[in-house]
Amino acid sequence: MLFVYFGFILLTAFNKGAMGQTLVPGLSWGILLGAIVIVTAFVLTGLYVRWANNHYDPELRAIQKRAFAADAESPGGHS
Amino acid sequence: MNAAAVVQTSLGKPNAVATSFFFLFVLVTLSITYWAARRTKTTSEFFAAASRITAGQNGLALAGDYMSAASFLGIAGLVSLSGFDGLIYSVGFLVGWPLVMFLVAEPLRNLGKYTFSDVVAARLRQRPIRIAAALGSLSVVSFYLIAQMVGAGNLIKTLFGLSFETAVIVVGSVMILYVLFGGMIATTWVQIVKALLLLSGATLLAVMVLSKFDFSPLKLFAEAARVNGAGMLAPGKQVANPIDACSLGLALMLGTAGLPHILMRFYTVPDAQAARRSVFYATGIIGFFYLVTFILGFGASVLVGQKAIVSIDKGGNMAALLLAEVVGGHGLMGFISAVAFATILAVVAGLTLSGAAALSHDLWVSVVRKGDAPESEQLLVARVATGGLGVLAVVLGISFKGQNVAFMVGLAFAIAASANFPALVMSLLWRRFTTAGAVASMVVGNVSSVLLIALSSTVQVDILHKSAAIFPLKNPGIVSVPLAFIVGALVSVLAPAKADQDKFEEIQRRTILGAKPAAQK
Repeated sequence: MLFVYFGFILLTAFNKGAMGQTLVPGLSWGILLGAIVIVTAFVLTGLYVRWANNHYDPELRAIQKRAFAADAESPGGHS
Repeated sequence: MNAAAVVQTSLGKPNAVATSFFFLFVLVTLSITYWAARRTKTTSEFFAAASRITAGQNGLALAGDYMSAASFLGIAGLVSLSGFDGLIYSVGFLVGWPLVMFLVAEPLRNLGKYTFSDVVAARLRQRPIRIAAALGSLSVVSFYLIAQMVGAGNLIKTLFGLSFETAVIVVGSVMILYVLFGGMIATTWVQIVKALLLLSGATLLAVMVLSKFDFSPLKLFAEAARVNGAGMLAPGKQVANPIDACSLGLALMLGTAGLPHILMRFYTVPDAQAARRSVFYATGIIGFFYLVTFILGFGASVLVGQKAIVSIDKGGNMAALLLAEVVGGHGLMGFISAVAFATILAVVAGLTLSGAAALSHDLWVSVVRKGDAPESEQLLVARVATGGLGVLAVVLGISFKGQNVAFMVGLAFAIAASANFPALVMSLLWRRFTTAGAVASMVVGNVSSVLLIALSSTVQVDILHKSAAIFPLKNPGIVSVPLAFIVGALVSVLAPAKADQDKFEEIQRRTILGAKPAAQK
C-alpha cells in the first residue's frame, strides 16, 4: 500500500504532464490512477480479511487451545 | 453552465428546512443519549460501550469519526476549484486505513483497554509512558477540536445566520450532553446516524448531478475540463513541491493510525476479528464517500461555476451546498446543511470522549492513583474531564474566532503521526524498545511537529505575514516522523533496560492470542 500510494504521489509530483494526459475525453491518467488507488486500498483490506478469516483464525484457535490448556496444567506458567 | 445566475443564493438566510432537519437530528440523537445513559454505569460502558458494538456498526462509526465536515465541504470545495489536486487529499485520507488494518487494529484490541497508551505501556513502565502518551493524545485532540469548533462557528454563521459565539456554544453544549450522559454508547450511535445521513445526502446529490450528464462521470469530467480548462484533470499548484506532497502524504497516512479517537473505537468491538472486519467496512465506506465527494466537486465546478463558488467563500468550502441548491433547490440545501452541522457535532463528541479517556484513564487512574481507583471514582473523573474539555473547546473555539485554523487539522495529523504512531509501532514490534525510548520518541515527535509547523510558511507567512519561513515545507511529517523513530530507537539502544525487554514475549503472546477467554480460566 505504501508503494502504491507513494508511487502515485511521486508520479503526480514529478511527472505532471503524463498525469494530465487524457485517455479518452474527460478521463486523465491522474484521475484514473487516483480512483484505482482508492479501490486498491479497499480490495487489499478485503483480501486480508478473507485470508485472516480462512487461514489465520483457524490456526490461531488451534494454538490458543494448546496454549491455554498448557496454562491450566501449570498455573502461573507462561509460554 | 450559467454561472452568473446562481450567485443569487439563499445561503446565510435562516432556512426553515435546515433548521427543522437539524432539530430533528438533535432530538433523535438526544433520545439515543437518554437510552444510552441508562446503559452507562461502568467505565467499560462509558469508554468502550462494554465492547458490544458489532463490526458493521463499528465500521460505520469509524467512518463517521473520520468523515468530518472539513473533508466533506473542504475536499468538495478543493476539487471544485482545482480539480485533480483535491483527489490527492482524498487518496491521502484513505490510504492510512489499510495500514491501520495491518499494523494496529488487532493488537490494539487484544492488548488494550480504553486508550492506545494501554498498548504502549503494556510492557513498559506505566507512569512515564502514560504521561507522555496522554500529552500526545491531548495535543492531537485540542488542535483537532479547535479546528472543528472554529469550522462549526463559521459554517453555522454562513448556513443559518446565527452568530459565531451562539453556534460554538450550541455545538459545545449538545456535544457535552452526548458524551457526559451517554458515553461511548451514545457517541457510537450518533456517529452511525451521522454516517448514514452523510452518505445518503452525498450520494443523493451525486446521483442528481450525474443525472444531468447521462450518468457518465466521464462526460462530467470532460465538461469540467471544457468549462474550467484542462488543468482540472491534471496536477496543479497544490503539488508544486514534491517533497511537500510526500510530507503531507506521510502525515495523513501515518496520522490515521495514531488518532486517539479512531484507535479508541477498536475497544468497542468484542474481539480482534470484529476489529478487523470493522476496518474493512470503514475503508469501503470512506473510499466510496471520497469518490462521491470528487463527483460533487466536479459537479459544482460545472453547475455552480468557480466564480460563484469563490464569491461566497474564498476557500470554496460552500461548493457542495451551492451545488445542492442548484440541483435540488432550497429543500435539498437545507438537508445538506443540517447534515454538515450534524457531522461536526458527532466528530467533536468522539474527540472529546477520547480526550476524557486520556485524562481519566491514563492520567488520573494510572498516574495519580497508580492504577488503584474505585470504579465510581473513575467514572466521576471521566465525566468531570468531559465537562472540562467541552467548556475548554467552547472557550478555545471562541478565542480563535476569525483565525485561519485550516492548518490545525494538518497539525493534528502530524502530531498523531509523529508522537503516537512511532511509539505504538515500536512497542508492538521491537523487543529492545524501552520506556526511555518510548517517552523520548513521543515527546520529540510532539514537540518537533508543533515547532516545525510554527516555523513553516503556514504560520509564518499566512498568519504572521512574514516574507519567508524558516522551515521550507508546509507539513512537518517527513522530518518529524523519522525523527521520532530515530530518537526512540537511539535512546533504546544506548540505554537498554532489561526489565522492559523481559516482558516482550508475554505481551507478544497476548498481542497474538488475545486475552484468555473467561470460560477457560
